[in-house]
Amino acid sequence: MTLRRRLVDWALTGLLILVPALVLRASLSRGTPSALDQALLRITAPLEKAVSWVVEGIGGTWSRYVALADVEAENRELRADNERLRKDLAAMTRKAYDVAALEDLAVVKKRTPADTLGARVIGAPLSPQFRVLRLTIDRGDREVATDMPVITSEGPVGRVDKVYGDYADVVLISDPSSRIDVVIRDPAQPAVQASGARGLLVGTGRADAYACKIEWLERQGRAGPAEAKVKVGDEVVTSGLGASFPAGLVVGKVSKIIGDDGMFQSVEVNPTVDVSRVRAVMVLLAPPPPPDPDAKSRRRSDFAFGARPL
Amino acid sequence: MRTATIVLVAYLLCAAIASFWRLLPRIDDAIPDLGALTAAYLGLTARRQVSPAVGGAIVLGYLIDLISGGPPGLVALVLALTTLVARAVQQRILVRGAVISIAFSAFVALVAGVLALLVRVLYRVPSAAFPVELAHVALVTIATAILGPLVWRTFRRIDAAFARTHRERDAALEGLAP
Repeated sequence: MTLRRRLVDWALTGLLILVPALVLRASLSRGTPSALDQALLRITAPLEKAVSWVVEGIGGTWSRYVALADVEAENRELRADNERLRKDLAAMTRKAYDVAALEDLAVVKKRTPADTLGARVIGAPLSPQFRVLRLTIDRGDREVATDMPVITSEGPVGRVDKVYGDYADVVLISDPSSRIDVVIRDPAQPAVQASGARGLLVGTGRADAYACKIEWLERQGRAGPAEAKVKVGDEVVTSGLGASFPAGLVVGKVSKIIGDDGMFQSVEVNPTVDVSRVRAVMVLLAPPPPPDPDAKSRRRSDFAFGARPL
Repeated sequence: MRTATIVLVAYLLCAAIASFWRLLPRIDDAIPDLGALTAAYLGLTARRQVSPAVGGAIVLGYLIDLISGGPPGLVALVLALTTLVARAVQQRILVRGAVISIAFSAFVALVAGVLALLVRVLYRVPSAAFPVELAHVALVTIATAILGPLVWRTFRRIDAAFARTHRERDAALEGLAP
């Protein structure tokens, strides 16, 4: 090998070594690269992209189709994770549901003018048509007594029927033995307490629905005969009479007019409370105090000893 | 063509080792430096001109830079310099037999490791603490030394396949410089 060829070879080698040195310098430069670095990066970027495409293609083929050694173990692990996360999600959903129910109860407790006690529903026997027949709550004879009203934020649920040990059974408003004094409220005029039509809400005990009915609903109320006529969709609220439920609780809506004999109407009522979803209830321990008839009128007590201020 | 084949085979070996070496328990940190072995082989077997060997080492280094995610040019520069070191050694020793192959593989890995450290310091590439880097170089050296004879044999087979005469073929299989 001649000296000239040897010199060319070493010069070429030097140039070759210079290329990675410059590429490394350009790739590590911070801030605005110099003109040389920019030129190098401009040249190497497409080359790098092309080579990366080929390399990633080979690597991807390898990892997707050949190197699947730990895929089964990973799959098993992911399945276990999935199962655990599903359980966690179910538990969290249940807790969230409980929290929502308890928040509702707190609202009820705040706005109810009577002594109340929160209770958790621990059982709900079902009929063959999967209709809840009664609720079992976790409050016993030391806390509740029979006939105490049971409500939720949506309205009345029923009343305590049997108390045994630390538990109590609640008979629902849809049960034939349930009786609640109610009045009709026109949803178009919610400010008006009631149209005046008053009646006794009785459970139908139907096996396929939680329906109630009002058999002897007065035709003539305070608002007059025409207005007192009950329509489908009218709200049924508790009257507060009978010393059980406080007045104004929405029981349900009139779903069907069953009969009208000129003096009385007979209607079917669909309760607002979906008892199949009730998780917590509030028991009214004492009847609410009767409303003060003179609450709005101004009264002034007599002056002492007949003396008048100057 | 011979250099290109060796580079391609080395690259495939690197990709394969990168895929399955991590599955090995306890020694997943001691990855054999196949790039250094290849560069050393190219330098050791460079015929008259050294530039093709250096070019092949740079291409392989660049490919390794791409798959390893390091700064482009780092391994390429290190392998180019390793080729030159191997070329310088070629004129002094003859790498034949298992013991010399293992020792030379360890030497090559050590040289490549030290060169990589120097280049990193020179270019201010962020690296781990010095003792950690040294421990890593030591582990890589041991792994490379163990795998070295196998890699040499593979490359010699390739050289034998490209031999033009029986004499060249025998010399390649014997590990004699062509």
